[in-house]
Amino acid sequence: MTVLDLTAVTKEYPGSPPVRALDDVSLSVSEGELLAIVGASGSGKSTLLNIIGTLDRPTSGQVVIEGTPVADLSDAGLAGLRSARIGFVFQQFHLLEAITAVDNVATGLLYQGVRRGRRRALATEALERVGLGHRLGFKPPQLSGGERQRVAIARAIVGDPAIVLADEPTGNLDSHTSTDIVNLLRQLNDDGSTIIVITHDQDLAADLPRRVTLSDGRVVDDDAHLSAFRIPAGEEPAEARGVTS
Amino acid sequence: MKNAANSRSRSHWRSKLLPADAVVTGTHGLRSRKGRTLLTAIGIAIGIASMVAVLGISASSKADLIAEIDKLGTNLLQVQAGSNLFGESAKLPEEAPAMVRRLGPVENASSVSRLDTDVQRNQYLDDNNGLDVLASEPELLDTLDGAMAQGRFLDTGTATLPTVVLGSVAAERLGVRTLDGGPTVQIAGRTFAVIGILEPLPLNPDIDRAVLIGNEAAEDFLGAEVIPTAIYLRAIPELVEDVRSVLPRTANPADPSEVNVSRPSDALEARAQVDENLQNLLLGLGGVALLVGGVGIANVMIISVLERRGEIGLRRALGATRRHIALQFVLESASLATLGGIVGVGLGSAVTYTYARRQDWLVDIPVQALGAGVAGALVLGALAGLYPAIRAARLDPADAVRPA
Ligand SMILES: Nc1ncnc2c1ncn2[C@@H]1O[C@H](COP(=O)(O)OP(=O)(O)OP(=O)(O)O)[C@@H](O)[C@H]1O
Ligand SMILES: [Mg+2]
Repeated sequence: MTVLDLTAVTKEYPGSPPVRALDDVSLSVSEGELLAIVGASGSGKSTLLNIIGTLDRPTSGQVVIEGTPVADLSDAGLAGLRSARIGFVFQQFHLLEAITAVDNVATGLLYQGVRRGRRRALATEALERVGLGHRLGFKPPQLSGGERQRVAIARAIVGDPAIVLADEPTGNLDSHTSTDIVNLLRQLNDDGSTIIVITHDQDLAADLPRRVTLSDGRVVDDDAHLSAFRIPAGEEPAEARGVTS
Repeated sequence: MKNAANSRSRSHWRSKLLPADAVVTGTHGLRSRKGRTLLTAIGIAIGIASMVAVLGISASSKADLIAEIDKLGTNLLQVQAGSNLFGESAKLPEEAPAMVRRLGPVENASSVSRLDTDVQRNQYLDDNNGLDVLASEPELLDTLDGAMAQGRFLDTGTATLPTVVLGSVAAERLGVRTLDGGPTVQIAGRTFAVIGILEPLPLNPDIDRAVLIGNEAAEDFLGAEVIPTAIYLRAIPELVEDVRSVLPRTANPADPSEVNVSRPSDALEARAQVDENLQNLLLGLGGVALLVGGVGIANVMIISVLERRGEIGLRRALGATRRHIALQFVLESASLATLGGIVGVGLGSAVTYTYARRQDWLVDIPVQALGAGVAGALVLGALAGLYPAIRAARLDPADAVRPA
C-alpha cells in the first residue's frame, strides 16, 4: 500500500532570483519501507522532508498521504494529520529540557487529545522499545546525546504514525552512536514502521534498503538494489517501490 | 469527491488539546524558567499590591472614621453668634437657648458664654495661651456626649463655686495633668479650683481649648454678664436638616443672618472625602505601575517566543494548530500575571494590615479589591500575551524546526 505519493513537486523560495529548492520531484513510498534521502548540502533534502511532513506546502505539484491530497486540507487539517499520522525526528532533538523522558515522549500524543495517564503508559512502552526503559524519569540534561535521540525517536513512534521522518538524526552524534541509532531505525522498520531518513553519511546510507539522491532539487538517483534482494523473484523493484520518476 | 475526502480526513485527523493539558502546557514555560517568571511577575505584583494597599488603607481609615462618627453621632448642631460689621463677636439673644429648646425635634441643648478674660496657671504668668473661658451649664456634658478624664463636671452645686473644668487641650497647656494636690488656675486675678478634666471631644475642638465655669460663678466671682455666644444641641437624627434650617430664625428672630449654624460631624465627613481624592491619585499611580508591569510581561513574552522557536516548531510538528500555540502563550502570559496578582494581593493585604494596626484602626480589606486584583492581573496578562501569542502562532513551522 502506498503511504506517500509525490507528483511533480516543485518548491520555490521567493527572492531575486527565486531559489528553486525542489524541481519536479516525484516519489512514491510504500508501507513498511525504510529509505534514505541523500545529497549534497543545499540539494533540497530538508525542504523535501518538510513538504512530506506537511510543515510546508509545495509551490506546485501534488502530495498525497494515505490517499488524502494534502492540498485539500486547511492549516488546522494539516496539524491534525501531523498529530496522528506523521512522526518527526530532528537533528537537534528538540526535547523539552524541563520535563522527564516519559513526559517528553508523551507530548507525541498531546495534540491527539489522549488523556495524560494513557499518554504516559504508551510513552513508557515506547521508551522500552528504544531501549530506554531505565531512563524514564531522567530529564534531557541528564541524558547522553544518543539517549536524547532515542527519546526523540520514541516520541516520534509513540502515536504509531504512518510515516516517521528523520532529518539528520545522527548529525549531532559520534559515529558509534550513529550506528546504534540507525540500527534502532532498522529495528523499528522491521517491526513495521515506514521511515524516511535524511543523512549526510554515505556509509550509513549504503546500509539502507533504498536511497533517493537529490542534486540541485532534482531526484538524480533512486536506488533500491539492496532491498531488491529481499523482494520475491519476478517482481520489478521499481514498481514494488512505486517509483514513478 | 474532493469534498468527501476532505471532510472524512478531517474527522479522522483532528488536533485536540484537552483543557487540563492546555493549562499544563500554558505553564510549562513558567515552570522551566522559574527565576525569570518571578522577576517578571514582580512588576504586576507591585502594581496590584499598591492598589490593594491604597484601597485597604483608605477603607480601613474610612471604616475607622465612620465608626468614630457613628459613635459621636451626626445629630449634634452648633449655633454660633456671627461677628458683626466691626468684627466684634456678636452675642445671641439671652432667650435664644430657651427658644431653641422649645423646638420639637430638639432633644437637648446647652449654651456657653465666652467671657472676655483669660486664664493662667498662676498669678505670675501672663501667657497668651489661646484658651477661652466659657461660662456654661451642667447639661453641656450630656449634650456634647462628653466624658471625664478625671474628676467630675460642673453640677448645680459647683456651678456656683469658684471651680473650673478643663478641656483636654486646656489642661495640657495649663500643665494640669492630675487633680492630686488640688490644682488651681487664675482667672481675672481670682483663684479657681480645678475639679475635672474632660476627655477630648472630637466634634468640639473649641471646648477642648476651653476652661469651663458655672454661669452663676461667672456672675458672682467675675462680675460677668452671661449672654450666650454659642448653643450646642442634639436633634432627632431624622430631622437634623429641618432643625438646622429653622435654627437661625429661632435663635435670633430679629437678625437671623447674624447666626452661624454648623454640624461638627460634617468636618469629619469632609475628611473622608479628601481621602477619596488622594486615594484616586494613588490608585492612578498603582494603575501606572500595573501598566508598566503589563508591558514588561509583553516584552518578556516576545523574547520568549523568539527563544522558543524550536519548541514552537516542535509542537507544530507534533500536531499543534496555530490556535493551540496562541492559546499556550496567552495562558502562559495570563498565568504569569495571575501569579503576580496573587503575590500582589497578599503583599497589599499585609501592608494594609500592618499599617492599620499601627494606626490603631479597624482593619478593613475590601474582598472585592482582592478578587478584582487577581482577575485584573489575569485579564491584563492575557492582553499582554496577545501580541506575542499571535507572533508565535504565525511562525512558519518549517522555519521554526530548522536549525538556527
Ligand atoms: N526559507 C528559505 N528561504 C529561502 N531559501 C531557502 C529556505 N530554505 C531553504 N532554502 C534554500 O533551498 C535550498 C535547499 O535547502 P535545504 O535546507 O532543503 O537543503 P539541504 O539539502 O537540507 O541542505 P543541508 O544538507 O545543508 O541541510 C538551499 O539552497 C537553501 O538555501
Ligand atoms: Mg537540511
